[in-house]
Amino acid sequence: MKTRSETSLTPARDAAPSEGLLSQPAALDVLFEQRSPAEAEPLEPVLEARAVTVRYGAAVAVSDVSLDVHRNRVTAFIGPSGCGKTTLLRTFNRMNDLVPGAVVSGRVAYHGVDVNGAGVDPIEVRRRIGMVFQRPNPFPKSVFDNVAFGLRLHGLKDDLSGRVEEALRRAALWDEVKDRLGKNALGLSGGQQQRLCIARALAVEPDLLLMDEPASALDPISTTRIEDLLRELRSQVTIVIVTHNMQQAARVADLTAFFSVEPTGGDEHERGGVLIEYGPTEQLFTRPADRRTEDYVTGRFG
Amino acid sequence: MALNEATPMRADFHDELERLQQLVDDEGKLVAQALRSATRALVLQDSELAEEVIAFDDVVDLRYLGIEEGVQSLLARQTPVAVDLRLVLAIVHVNLHLERMADLCVTVAKLTRLTDGLAVDAQVVRALGEMGARADEMIAVAMSSFQERDIAAAESLVELDDLIDAANRRLVRRLLERGADPGAREWGMRMIVVSRCLERVGDHAVDIGERTAYLVTGEFREFGDASHPPA
Repeated sequence: MKTRSETSLTPARDAAPSEGLLSQPAALDVLFEQRSPAEAEPLEPVLEARAVTVRYGAAVAVSDVSLDVHRNRVTAFIGPSGCGKTTLLRTFNRMNDLVPGAVVSGRVAYHGVDVNGAGVDPIEVRRRIGMVFQRPNPFPKSVFDNVAFGLRLHGLKDDLSGRVEEALRRAALWDEVKDRLGKNALGLSGGQQQRLCIARALAVEPDLLLMDEPASALDPISTTRIEDLLRELRSQVTIVIVTHNMQQAARVADLTAFFSVEPTGGDEHERGGVLIEYGPTEQLFTRPADRRTEDYVTGRFG
Repeated sequence: MALNEATPMRADFHDELERLQQLVDDEGKLVAQALRSATRALVLQDSELAEEVIAFDDVVDLRYLGIEEGVQSLLARQTPVAVDLRLVLAIVHVNLHLERMADLCVTVAKLTRLTDGLAVDAQVVRALGEMGARADEMIAVAMSSFQERDIAAAESLVELDDLIDAANRRLVRRLLERGADPGAREWGMRMIVVSRCLERVGDHAVDIGERTAYLVTGEFREFGDASHPPA
């Protein structure tokens, strides 16, 4: 048995197609390319977190995290409860501004601009960096008005119905709601409501979409639709997803970051969220570099 | 499956994985038993024992199928990842290698039966007996390295394999030089195949060693490269 790099049976990528045995390694190449088209594109950071620490009063929620979020990739944050993954996600579009007592230090740069910098409007940050939450939270308004809400807020009023339709199509919801755009959104199923929230976030054309356990309140079929949607959307928008479901991360994410709860100060009792390992999803789930990642993904943590 | 904090330890899953490993370890013992009996039948020209070895293969096959079913069930239900995934994949390979070794023992036993009554070359028989003992040792080293996740022991299989390969080559040379007597020639040709079977048992043991290294490191690497021998 040969590893592929050593075997002379492997033709060069640009070699002429051949019959029989020689064509088989090439067929494998095609298979892997289809599995992950985005991997061919080089990594390009959209958002850079540097030494980010978040405290709630005296408690450290997440400590000294530095990582890059890469364009047109789905990045998953996984880890046990209390590891700070959601807190970190919320620093990316300044959602922690709304939490009393939360203090963020370090730097979060979006396309090189510090999102916490003087003169940066948090509303504008949240337009470019959208968010979808665990529980679908449509407004008690019509389907149309839910999607149009952000467009009106940001003054994007030309061709409103065209923009609404486009957002609903991108969220794979259009066919199900096109005949009931005037009906109250609360009449939709849970899975439809969540896709409506995704459409609402997409309508204002963010280039980074943050998702905090977007499928954890949904049934398996709705979950599958959301996961399929993430794979489709990543060609247009960069996605960061926090999930408790490790297999969901394994299925949808190109890159995965594992966080754990570790001692963060000199005092053994002072513990907070720490980034342990960040890399290609396949690597984290086949041969993680850190023992703590291994223990977590294999369920050997207590 | 969703793995959440409410069920922190996948205890049942890991018990199941350990049972599978245990079944493979036992399969290794069964195969070593088959090899020892096949070698003994060969050396003693014991056709009855050879028959037993042939029948014993059903026991190994049952174990092989049981392990395969266990792997299938585990994959369907438990979604193993990381070191667990690598262990499941290693078990798939080791299981197959052991089953193949048992088949080689059956071939040795069948040839022993076929050559019943033909004149033997005592020196060749003794050499085949030594090859069988070496192959037995290689199974023991391969299985203990797999159990103990011991890469150094796994790598030592290459040297043991070199010895058994050299013995095979020596035997083939000697057997090719045998006289023109039809009985002696037939016996010699059968024994070339026996020698080859014992040599193949050693190759499978090396492959088990490679799977052990893969299990530990996550990288598949050939210990020796039979297709590209050193210049």
